[in-house]
Amino acid sequence: MGFQMQPYGIQTMLKEGHKHLSGLDEAVLKNIDACKQLSAITRTSLGPNGMNKMVINHLDKLFVTNDAATIVNELEVQHPAAKILVLASKAQQEEIGDGANLTISFAGELLQNAEELIRMGLHPSEIISGYTKAINKTVEILEQLVEKGSENIDVRNKDQVICRMKAAVASKQFGQEDILCSLVADACIQVCPKNPANFNVDNVRVVKLLGGGLHNSAVVRGMVLKSDAVGSIKQVEKAKLENYSKTEEAKVEELIKAVADSGAKVIVSGAAIGEMALHFCERYKLMVLKISSKFELRRFCRTTGSVAMLKLSQPNPDDLGHVDSITVEEIGGVRVTIAKNEEGGNSVATVVLRGSTDSILDDLERAIDDGVNTYKAMCRDSRIVPGAAATEIELARRVKEFSYKETGLDQYAIAKFAESFEMVPRTLAENAGLNEMEIMSSLYAEHASGNSKVGIDLEEGVCKDISILDVWDLYITKFFALKYAADAACTVLRVDQIIMAKPAGGPKRDQPAAGMDED
Amino acid sequence: MAAMLQPQIILLKEGTDTSQGKAQLVSNINACTATADVVRTTLGPRGMDKLIHDNKGTVTISNDGATIMKLLDIVHPAAKILVDIAKSQDSEVGDGTTTVVLLAGEFLKEAKPFIEDGVHPQNLIRSYRTACSLALEKVKELAVSIEGKSLEEKKSLLAKCATTTLSSKLIGGEKEFFASMVVNAVIAIGHDDRLNMIGIKKVPGGNMRDSFLVNGVAFKKTFSYAGFEQQPKKFENPKILLLNIELELKSEKENAEIRLSDPSQYQSIVDAEWNIIYDKLDKCVQSGAKVVLSRLAIGDLATQYFADRDIFCAGRVTEEDLQRVAAATGGTVQTSVNNIIDEVLGTCELFEERQVGNERFNIFCGCPSGHTATIVLRGGADQFIEEAERSLHDAIMIVRRAMKNSTVVAGGGAIDMELSRYLRQHARTIAGKSQLFINSYAKALEVIPRQLCDNAGFDATDVLNKLRQKHALQSGEGANYGVDINTGGITDSFANFVWEPAVVKINAINAATEAACLILSVDETVKNPKSESAQGEAAASAMGGRGRGGAFPGRGRGMRRR
Repeated sequence: MGFQMQPYGIQTMLKEGHKHLSGLDEAVLKNIDACKQLSAITRTSLGPNGMNKMVINHLDKLFVTNDAATIVNELEVQHPAAKILVLASKAQQEEIGDGANLTISFAGELLQNAEELIRMGLHPSEIISGYTKAINKTVEILEQLVEKGSENIDVRNKDQVICRMKAAVASKQFGQEDILCSLVADACIQVCPKNPANFNVDNVRVVKLLGGGLHNSAVVRGMVLKSDAVGSIKQVEKAKLENYSKTEEAKVEELIKAVADSGAKVIVSGAAIGEMALHFCERYKLMVLKISSKFELRRFCRTTGSVAMLKLSQPNPDDLGHVDSITVEEIGGVRVTIAKNEEGGNSVATVVLRGSTDSILDDLERAIDDGVNTYKAMCRDSRIVPGAAATEIELARRVKEFSYKETGLDQYAIAKFAESFEMVPRTLAENAGLNEMEIMSSLYAEHASGNSKVGIDLEEGVCKDISILDVWDLYITKFFALKYAADAACTVLRVDQIIMAKPAGGPKRDQPAAGMDED
Repeated sequence: MAAMLQPQIILLKEGTDTSQGKAQLVSNINACTATADVVRTTLGPRGMDKLIHDNKGTVTISNDGATIMKLLDIVHPAAKILVDIAKSQDSEVGDGTTTVVLLAGEFLKEAKPFIEDGVHPQNLIRSYRTACSLALEKVKELAVSIEGKSLEEKKSLLAKCATTTLSSKLIGGEKEFFASMVVNAVIAIGHDDRLNMIGIKKVPGGNMRDSFLVNGVAFKKTFSYAGFEQQPKKFENPKILLLNIELELKSEKENAEIRLSDPSQYQSIVDAEWNIIYDKLDKCVQSGAKVVLSRLAIGDLATQYFADRDIFCAGRVTEEDLQRVAAATGGTVQTSVNNIIDEVLGTCELFEERQVGNERFNIFCGCPSGHTATIVLRGGADQFIEEAERSLHDAIMIVRRAMKNSTVVAGGGAIDMELSRYLRQHARTIAGKSQLFINSYAKALEVIPRQLCDNAGFDATDVLNKLRQKHALQSGEGANYGVDINTGGITDSFANFVWEPAVVKINAINAATEAACLILSVDETVKNPKSESAQGEAAASAMGGRGRGGAFPGRGRGMRRR
């Protein structure tokens, strides 16, 4: 036990109330256990048939989702080792925007297998070196598995985009991926700049409106603001209005008149608009919109190609933007202002989502986020690998072969690493309510006979060639997910001592841990 | 064994509550069924009302599903989803809130035995989604369009829809009376249908029949100063000036300070003040307006000034009412009295002040643009009028939706029975498990007619069997048969004008299915302890933690992607 009767050794150096855990049993195995528990939570959400979780965070907000990144974010994981996994998944989420679940689940599986090795008597450092070799080999093999001819895609071709995006979106919203994918693809293609590498995820906006159903959702070229306005005319100009006091009546009139003379028909303001100013805007038949968010205003500028002016004066014709139409419409009891630009060249697209509850809308938004992020990733690197666990099985097989060629104790670790890949098909089958043993064996059989593209068809519960099913994953997603998972697992294994200083005074509630959660 | 000796691993924060697995799913379903049971008895014309007494001591009597769900203050996370769909139905179509909760509850109830038997929820979800899209197609197919009819015909058709909605409400006794009122109001506001252009004013006293519709604007007489009595109270074709300034002395908002060296100068300042206000008043009079309304105060000086010149004025008119008057009379609200041109003045055929109950009302009728209507509700008790207002709101929404989408289906459970039959028939063509699931979906749809019977005190089994027989007829002539609430038998709902807009049913089925699928897809609940700032009473336990707790809000959310 860590807490001896008599203080000696490290205990003498530290303040009363600290925690000190060391050695295999106490530190390494315990860490592994914590990580296993975490991955057990997220694992049932993996894949299209994954289940949702209800997470109620400390602010009492309800999340219903199967997006691993959201789940671990809101879980407020406390255990230091498990936190490493959380960080790995966050890194994945930031790098690619998808595949967070794969990272956590795979790292959990790696650690679970490492535990067996440790119990067998291997030293963690041997496992680490084995795992490192294995991941290098995996990356090599992964590159060989890339589908030929997929390096070049036309990111403006909707079919090609959808085919790559489908797997990512389907894993969040199974059964609705067709509708969602075409929405996302439409929106992304619209805003894709000339150089696709500069694609900015911020340019695809999502507006959530309660009511209706998913099939009522649509893509709007331009922006949708959740606010009302006065009047309805065309053309947009931008100016920030200050709040004027009433005594400056004539002055205000002069200013507004100047704006009106310049040909502008709409004023968009970031700050409040005085009653007096509004009065004159009405008089000169100007439509007035208020956008209080600074970022929203900037996006609006991008949409219309106008320049935000700090001072109200006669604007240059160059500073004026243009949209085809601005209308105020009522959707599901909410009045929204829609600024539309029908012809190309506009840089913001908005996906109007409809759904019957807030939780559904939030989850749909996350799925769209993933889709958009996938698009971004595919703009950078469009290579794809077979999906539906085909890649994993192939990797498992080849890494296993590789392990036989290794001499030394590394062999065990590499073999276990290979076994860990089995987790993906097994979980997919399990979540879909299929017999995992049967699926696994037939997958291995197919792959051994050279059909490296055979994966699970979850609809029918049989193994099929991926090229028929058209399920592809982005190479880059897989690459980073596996790499982060292996790194995280090695980091956890490397720890052999945990020293926790006594939490600073005050109540028992663990403030330091909560603080760490911030990153 | 090593793990046995060690202290338990704390993965999550202390106080975090997690539950997982099938048991969790079943308990979620139970919670939702319980919630649905609360509103169950309010369905239909014979539905009962609920009296809700909240912690502030306010009493609400209602049978509007959304209102009840909102007031129930549900904390169970799964059951909250039902509240959400009721709200969504309310904002999307306005009526059918009880229906949507009931349907969702019933879908889940039907799913429960399958879950307990070990069916994977995803299989159920997939079948439910298929059934939902099949049902929606069928609704669209069955819907009858009222497009292209003459105005008179359309009016009577819309009134039918409103009657169906109102019959299930407290004011059901006077449904024809109110239905025509609602239809007239909605038609009055035309296609630019801003809901806030229909005002509902409540005046206690009298009875329901005394309620009336003003084709224009009506609002309660505002607070008035001396001199008001001398003002004329009736005009024909007056010009109306709408202001957003106060006509009062001491109108300076900012603190001003003036230093005087000579006391005689004081008089000039006072004079200047009087001049400003007289100047303003003069300009109002010169504009030719006979009625002056202002959002801000009109003082006693101005009141008397106007009275002397035979002008009616009212100050402190609420923003809403002023907007409505502006829309109705074609005027615009002015923030300055300078440069008042004829364009900004509104007009109407008749303005008068009328006694309603013990209140005096300012009424503008025969407005040129006519985009407004006001319903003045009368009734015995406050709660009664409140409920009547909610019911009218529902009816107004229904008529608006019916005008927009202009397709209707047969009510009285007829459409639900027909969908049920259609799905059962379709299910027979499917091999595999999903046949069972679609059948259970079809069975769940029957809850509407069943509950209608139950609430009316009929033998549900008997009526349902008769309905099933009618709907199963090969010729399809029985497709419109629903529950006859008057005799306890069955009747052709369509021929008896029990109609509802198709969009109500479409949205209800859609939302209920989405909610049911969402609840079925959850297998784990994790509840984090509330952060200290969220719970007010945590002060006792957290002395030092308080200050830190304040930094919590936004932290959790700030971590969202991007």
